[in-house]
Amino acid sequence: MIEFLQQLANGLAQGGIYALIALGYTMIYGVLRFINFAHGDVFMLGAFAGFYVGPPVLKLFGLGPSYMGMALVLLCAMALCAVAGIVIERLCYRPLRDRPRIIVLITAIGVSLLLESGGQLVFGADPKSFPDLITDRAIEIPASWGRLSELTLTLSQLLVLGVTLLLVILLDLIVNRTRIGLAMRALSLNPAAAQLAGVNLDQVIMFTFGLGSALAGAAGILTSIQQPSIGPLMGIAAGLKAFVAAVLGGIGNLPGAVLGGVLIGLTEALVVGYLSPTYRDSIVFGVLILILIFRPTGLLGRAQREKV
Amino acid sequence: MSAPLLQLHQVTVRFGGLTAVNAVDLAVGPGELVGLIGPNGAGKTTVFNVITGVYPPTDGTAAFAGHDLAGRAIHQIAALGIARTFQNIRLFGNLSVFDNVRVACNLHRGTGPFRSLLRSAAHRTDEAAIAGRVEELLALFNLARFRDVAASGLPYGDQRRLEIVRALATRPRLLLLDEPAAGMNAAEKAELIRLIQQVQRQFELSILLVEHSMQVVMGVCQRIAVLDYGVKIAEGPPAAIQSDPKVIEAYLGEDHAQSLSHH
Amino acid sequence: MRPARSNLVFLAVLGVLAAAAPFGERVGPYYYDILVGIGINMILAVSLNLINGYTGQFSLGHAGFMAVGAYTSAWLTLRAGTPSGPAGTAVFAGALLAGALGAGLVGLAVGAPSLRLRGDYLAIVTLGFNEIITGVIQNAEPLGAQRGLGGMGKYTGLFATFAAAAFAVLVIHNLVRSTYGRGFLATHDDEIAAESVGLSTTHYKITAFAVGAAFAGLAGGLYAHFKQFIHPEAFGFARSMDIVVMVILGGMGSMAGVCLAAVLLTVLPEALRWFSHLEALPGWLQRIAENRMILYSFLLIVLMIARPQGLLNFRPRRAKT
Repeated sequence: MIEFLQQLANGLAQGGIYALIALGYTMIYGVLRFINFAHGDVFMLGAFAGFYVGPPVLKLFGLGPSYMGMALVLLCAMALCAVAGIVIERLCYRPLRDRPRIIVLITAIGVSLLLESGGQLVFGADPKSFPDLITDRAIEIPASWGRLSELTLTLSQLLVLGVTLLLVILLDLIVNRTRIGLAMRALSLNPAAAQLAGVNLDQVIMFTFGLGSALAGAAGILTSIQQPSIGPLMGIAAGLKAFVAAVLGGIGNLPGAVLGGVLIGLTEALVVGYLSPTYRDSIVFGVLILILIFRPTGLLGRAQREKV
Repeated sequence: MSAPLLQLHQVTVRFGGLTAVNAVDLAVGPGELVGLIGPNGAGKTTVFNVITGVYPPTDGTAAFAGHDLAGRAIHQIAALGIARTFQNIRLFGNLSVFDNVRVACNLHRGTGPFRSLLRSAAHRTDEAAIAGRVEELLALFNLARFRDVAASGLPYGDQRRLEIVRALATRPRLLLLDEPAAGMNAAEKAELIRLIQQVQRQFELSILLVEHSMQVVMGVCQRIAVLDYGVKIAEGPPAAIQSDPKVIEAYLGEDHAQSLSHH
Repeated sequence: MRPARSNLVFLAVLGVLAAAAPFGERVGPYYYDILVGIGINMILAVSLNLINGYTGQFSLGHAGFMAVGAYTSAWLTLRAGTPSGPAGTAVFAGALLAGALGAGLVGLAVGAPSLRLRGDYLAIVTLGFNEIITGVIQNAEPLGAQRGLGGMGKYTGLFATFAAAAFAVLVIHNLVRSTYGRGFLATHDDEIAAESVGLSTTHYKITAFAVGAAFAGLAGGLYAHFKQFIHPEAFGFARSMDIVVMVILGGMGSMAGVCLAAVLLTVLPEALRWFSHLEALPGWLQRIAENRMILYSFLLIVLMIARPQGLLNFRPRRAKT
């Protein structure tokens, strides 16, 4: 039983990461009706932003590994990724706004490959060791909690969960309580009507990309805190699984993305724990195929009809 | 009227909370030319979509030549002998005019796909026959000069005509025309009336027509059914419909209310 | 009635190949390798073109089908003891056929769930299947798992490769040109309209996947018996993207364009490699030349923005007769 709870705990932390990336996918899909294939690579950029920008920034503020330092680097990485996302949208996707979806999809694949191979060229293909942003340690669970005290939890896991929760709450506030959030929601429901009502398409799309990319960047930092070995191709697997998470929850649905992310994280942990690590990726893809066959709108999504 | 070819009995279609079609009875006999009219949103295209299998009826039955239409795939219904044109033209834009009609000949192809791979003599004879039929149809409807042009490059009126020709290539017994006169001027509509009558005579089929233009409907239909908010409010010969107070009321406030008395 | 012209052309091509093939060795092993590579890539590109270009289904996992063909045929020839001479040729032919059939069946399995899926979703699902296939191979001991499978006989020669390529081109060309085959294009263009004229879009999509996959399997079998060693990583996303780029570059739906693109993109990496060794070039340029993915991705993006119909598709975008 304790073994099971341990897997759950591990899976939950990983699920938070997937949730953050999935939110970006789902937001962009909601507003532009296309799957940003390159989104997973923004996650990778976040990790590398932390790698290159982290130490100088910490030094600038005279900080060592600390919560403050981590927050600072996190914000920097998020900002940089937001910019990256906006630039990509402006250069590669905006010229294709009215073209068939397949053309945009191929372009997104191109961008993804460019980021990956460019990353290999510029950063070098060898894995890098992410700097310590916090001094990680195991969390002591008091013996009075009984068997639960046998669980191994680390500070980094708790931090990942905490920051993820915080970001999700912030996102919810932005989407549901601000004007730009309202514009995003309007756009995702009915683009034509939204524009007629005065929503500035370009601005909202830019904002959505920035926001989604910032979240992916955050995920990049949080993942690197837990697993300090980073490489230019790290976005591929994470991106694909986060996409599965978004679809599982219902693409275009924000709470769905979070739910999907957590479920995928948990599923992975259970597969690795009880089956075999080598089946991990295949099972996640299997989940995708099953959802798309049996419930293509995802757990929380709604169906859309084609007008004949 | 002999046994009806198409028989809709109490057909109801509901989309969530909206009842688009409400307990509609409609029958079309062999060789008949029936019109289906009503204000915008009355459910006319939905009726078409039920007949052709795009949506299943929520309630009621739809049968064609004795076959129940419910549960059949769209292409199966086409194979039964029902062809249609669409409100927003749906041609194969990237295919040539010739190929648009040719692809519709697949229903009555003589040889199977494997023979196409080998291009056997039987296959080529079949292909020649199909090509011959297509050329005939194109010539009959004055589209032969556009033979190799991509369908999307055709003028609007010719596109509408091509859609009808393509439907005819499937050798239907019932042809559904969904607002064929949309976007046409009076002269073009007169031409369309002539075309529909020619088609009906020459190909010996029944036609069910959804149309807003009273000029076309009155000029072509033997019998007219009127829908309003999904309910059939009247049915009868053109003259009776023209003077039916319920029909006039349904159209009140639109230009057609006046055109009813003019045309 | 005398045989169809396309069939006659095919036989003529076979004749030319049979005459020319023995001289193939003369070009030396390096260029021989490239030639065989061209033939194999042609089959892959033409078969993917049927799925993506003609039928409009976006398949990103074509290498998975190649893997099925490669491993099936390799396992069979190894089990048969890798005979030589006429027996060897017979075994090879049988193994290739089995590989193609196996791949075709897998193509059916992949095509089926794809029926209800649109472009983006379909792409991801096919990618997923690609990963699952290589994942299964990586865990299969009889297939060498992660170590790879080796020791196959070098049955693949110039004649076999290009005869197979010519066959693929012939079959797919004949297929698409026929009245039946126009259904693939109609399915691509407008599914509802296609259904309304009696075409089962389900049938066409699944058939496209099955036939496309079968030919990819054929290419896989040829590949396995040329390299004499296969490894699951050779059939991953990178390989699938290589083939996709060929189809896009050649112009989806253009047979000639796609063949030309296959030639170009087989030769390009070699040209780049040669280029990158030039002493006169600055280091950064050398490194870019070495990394063909960077160029491919750049090419893709520019192509999509500037000329989505492909670089090599000279036919006007419209009328397809």
